[in-house]
Amino acid sequence: MASQNLDPAAASSTAALKGNETSGNVSKGSVTKRLQQELMTLMMSGDKGISAFPESDNLFKWIGTIDGAQGTVYEGLRYKLSLEFPSGYPYNAPRVKFITSCFHPNVDENGFICLDILKDKWSALYDVRSILLSIQSLLGEPNNDSPMNSAAAELWDNQEAFKAHLHATYKN
Amino acid sequence: MSVLMSRGLPAAWDTVTAALVCPSAPSPVTDDSVSEALTLLCEKGLGQYVEGWLLEMLQVSLASNVAPAFWAELQHPEVESRERDRAGALLEAFRTLLQRLQPFLCGLERLGSWQDENRVGLPGPGAHGLRERAFSIIRAILLFSPPPVLQQRVLEFYSRTFSVYMSQIGEQIESDEVAAEGDGNDMCTGCASAPQVCWCQDALEQLQEFSHILSRLQLLERVSSEAVTSILHRLIEQRMEQRCRGEYERSFLSDFNDWLEQVLGWLSRVFASEVGEASTSSLPTDWKLDCIGSSILQRWRCHMQQFFCRIYVNMRIEELFSIIRDFPESTPAVEDLKFCLERTNQRQQLLTSLKSAFETRLLHPGVHTSDIITVYISAIKALRELDPSMVILQVACQPIRKYLRTREDTVRQIVASLTGDTEGCSELASELSRADPVTLETQDSEDEGSDPEEWTPDPTDALTDKTGSKRRSSDIISLLVSIFGSKEIFIDEYKTVLADRLLHQLNYNTAREIRNVELLKLRFGESHMHYCEVMLKDVADSRRINTNIHEEEARLPEDEHPPIPLSAMILSSEFWPQLKEEKLELPAAISKSMEAYTHRFEKLKAMRTLSWKPHLGSVTLDVELEDRTLTNLSVSPIHAAIILHFQDKGTWALEELSGVLGVHQELLRRKLALWQQHGVIQEESPGRYSILEKASSRERPDRGIMLIDSDEEGDSNTTTQSEQREEKLQLFWAYIQAMLTNLESMTLDRIHSMLRMFVATGPGVTEMDVNELQAFLQKKVRDHQLIVSAGVYRLPKTTQ
Repeated sequence: MASQNLDPAAASSTAALKGNETSGNVSKGSVTKRLQQELMTLMMSGDKGISAFPESDNLFKWIGTIDGAQGTVYEGLRYKLSLEFPSGYPYNAPRVKFITSCFHPNVDENGFICLDILKDKWSALYDVRSILLSIQSLLGEPNNDSPMNSAAAELWDNQEAFKAHLHATYKN
Repeated sequence: MSVLMSRGLPAAWDTVTAALVCPSAPSPVTDDSVSEALTLLCEKGLGQYVEGWLLEMLQVSLASNVAPAFWAELQHPEVESRERDRAGALLEAFRTLLQRLQPFLCGLERLGSWQDENRVGLPGPGAHGLRERAFSIIRAILLFSPPPVLQQRVLEFYSRTFSVYMSQIGEQIESDEVAAEGDGNDMCTGCASAPQVCWCQDALEQLQEFSHILSRLQLLERVSSEAVTSILHRLIEQRMEQRCRGEYERSFLSDFNDWLEQVLGWLSRVFASEVGEASTSSLPTDWKLDCIGSSILQRWRCHMQQFFCRIYVNMRIEELFSIIRDFPESTPAVEDLKFCLERTNQRQQLLTSLKSAFETRLLHPGVHTSDIITVYISAIKALRELDPSMVILQVACQPIRKYLRTREDTVRQIVASLTGDTEGCSELASELSRADPVTLETQDSEDEGSDPEEWTPDPTDALTDKTGSKRRSSDIISLLVSIFGSKEIFIDEYKTVLADRLLHQLNYNTAREIRNVELLKLRFGESHMHYCEVMLKDVADSRRINTNIHEEEARLPEDEHPPIPLSAMILSSEFWPQLKEEKLELPAAISKSMEAYTHRFEKLKAMRTLSWKPHLGSVTLDVELEDRTLTNLSVSPIHAAIILHFQDKGTWALEELSGVLGVHQELLRRKLALWQQHGVIQEESPGRYSILEKASSRERPDRGIMLIDSDEEGDSNTTTQSEQREEKLQLFWAYIQAMLTNLESMTLDRIHSMLRMFVATGPGVTEMDVNELQAFLQKKVRDHQLIVSAGVYRLPKTTQ
């Protein structure tokens, strides 16, 4: 009965994944299902400015896109991110980093992000959509207490200069 | 003695040869002298030439005399045309032939017996060998190039004797001659001539003699086989055409076998003499005689059966479409066909023919979907009889399944017939309620309890696909459901249908629906039918709540009664299919009643409230006009709202009314048509409507056709399939946008495979094939929502 209830599309993509992930096991199936569900939710939500999609036929590696929110210095800029889901997802947080280099107090030169919900505050209740929304709002409201990019943190108070520098260094 | 010897050598030769070619002359007395002469010849070493000489004589005489005379005689009665005479001439020619060959045959017999006895040391192959040689010569010379007249005559003669024979054993031969003559009543059915000149008996005697002569000359096989074969073939074909074509409700196999036995009776006469002769010569014992006779007949029987099967299969293949259409009435035909098909190698032909019959006769736009489904169901039933391995079914019906997938109303039709509310096929409903439902388990367990010993390989024409023979189901409902690959789409459609039916009735009567849901639960599993159960429960709850609220209202004092009595259908919105959204502002009186109802409901069910769908439902009302009353009209809420507004104000402008009701003008105009038809409202001037209080002032609605409220009256309350399709496309578009946003640019194939991989096919979402996708993407390109270059799609750069 359980196998009957299994979504056929999910089943087929599990099969597709087996080639890449040799350690495919029972829990992997449920992770796949969860990710599939998240993708669906994200598609249906129609949020402006955030988006993500699996990079290839591997459901565990996604590419995300964030548009800078209106009214912030990041407005008009578009950032690419990579999301990697561990096999323990959603109990373990995904690894998220910027692909597009991002001048931001909480993002280092390699694109690593300092964001609590991606670290110790992670909960299985978060999903891709909430991660992307959090990062989007982080862009406009950095946490300057624990900067990874101190130059950016110092410049932040001068929004005009920050914006000028940001746009000058932004390259897509 | 020595003198006699030297002098007697020619004399001895003469004696021997005379004894051989003129067997009537010598007497037993001369027998001694013959053997003396023979001994002499042998001593001189001439014995071996006797045989050669005799055969030479036979050959010469045959070539120069006998054969030409025979052909001349055979052709002779060309001038006169009576069949009977021709038969006589045929026999006579063979009689003469035998007579003239008789001396040689006797001589050979004699020589052979000498050789067998070997009394004087005469060498030679013996009687049997000699006979064989002589008959080879006869066959070679006589039948080297037989003129067609022989075949014609023999054919004619056999046909006649056949019909005589059959008429004598009481079988009415419906041969074309008899039928053509029409007044066959006073004609002999055997020889087709007037009773006083009937020659049936003669014919049979002639047959016997003819057969005897032929077998004596060992020509029977040569002369007769072809004629007999062609007669029997023609007869079988004729019989088949007359009896079987278009007739599917009777089995013809036993009928044919009976007939075959009769035919064999005739055949045994044709080949009788051969049998008879066999007994006189080398095989004297009775059982051997039977053995030979029956082995010839057996051969013919096999031949006939084989031929019958082939002809029958040919004909039935041609008619298979009609047979399927008539199933189960045509069961006997299917069984016959199954029997015959196992004996002929014509499955491939059947498949090709049936497939093309389906394509030309069924799968075109002129055929209603329900008809296609009906035929498909019949085909399933008929073909699973015909071929229990289901291979024919699977292969031949492939086009139907493919085609049904392209029809938009397929699912709806199937579901409608499942629930038994369609005019066409009720089979599905009964199929559904069958006692032993096959569960739609798509996963088949490996240890399927079947004995490996009983495994049989698939026929060679089976489709080589991933679904093994085990997967090949014969269950009609699972076959239909599997057209679309998933049962979810059916369950979803059923939900829609169920919702429609519940919302149309509005009488809370669910007995039938409960039964259907229970039956479907057996098929699809409890979990899938959960939504439907909730829907049914909603209806039952609604009834209870209604009663409850009505009772409560009844206890109120008269003046607190709500102005308009309401009954509500309370649906749990999560579980019902999407309902149509339409805007409609109801008149204040009704809204007030609704509010009161909502209030009572909220008291009854804490933490819940009602959200009304004012455009759905039905209103029963009376219209009282000055001179007449229309009672018990049952109309939709919008109609009721319209007429209610006319109660306060006699004349309305269209835009005014549209403003009050919150309904689009065009729709409103159409809805007004109902009241115009009832003669309650008239359009005074374009866009102005007024109430007609007096019937007398009403003009005949001669523009009646125009006024018919033709739009979605009585239409479904739920979203249609095309709307669902639109939703599906919307969903796909979201995915496509997302993947292009993140992955920049992609080819058609990659988009397709991504969609296939990541779009969860669920209710209402079926897969999209590449062509469909391409068309969709091209449309988006035309709408400038997409850019394509060199086969790569990307999103246009948005103004950021």
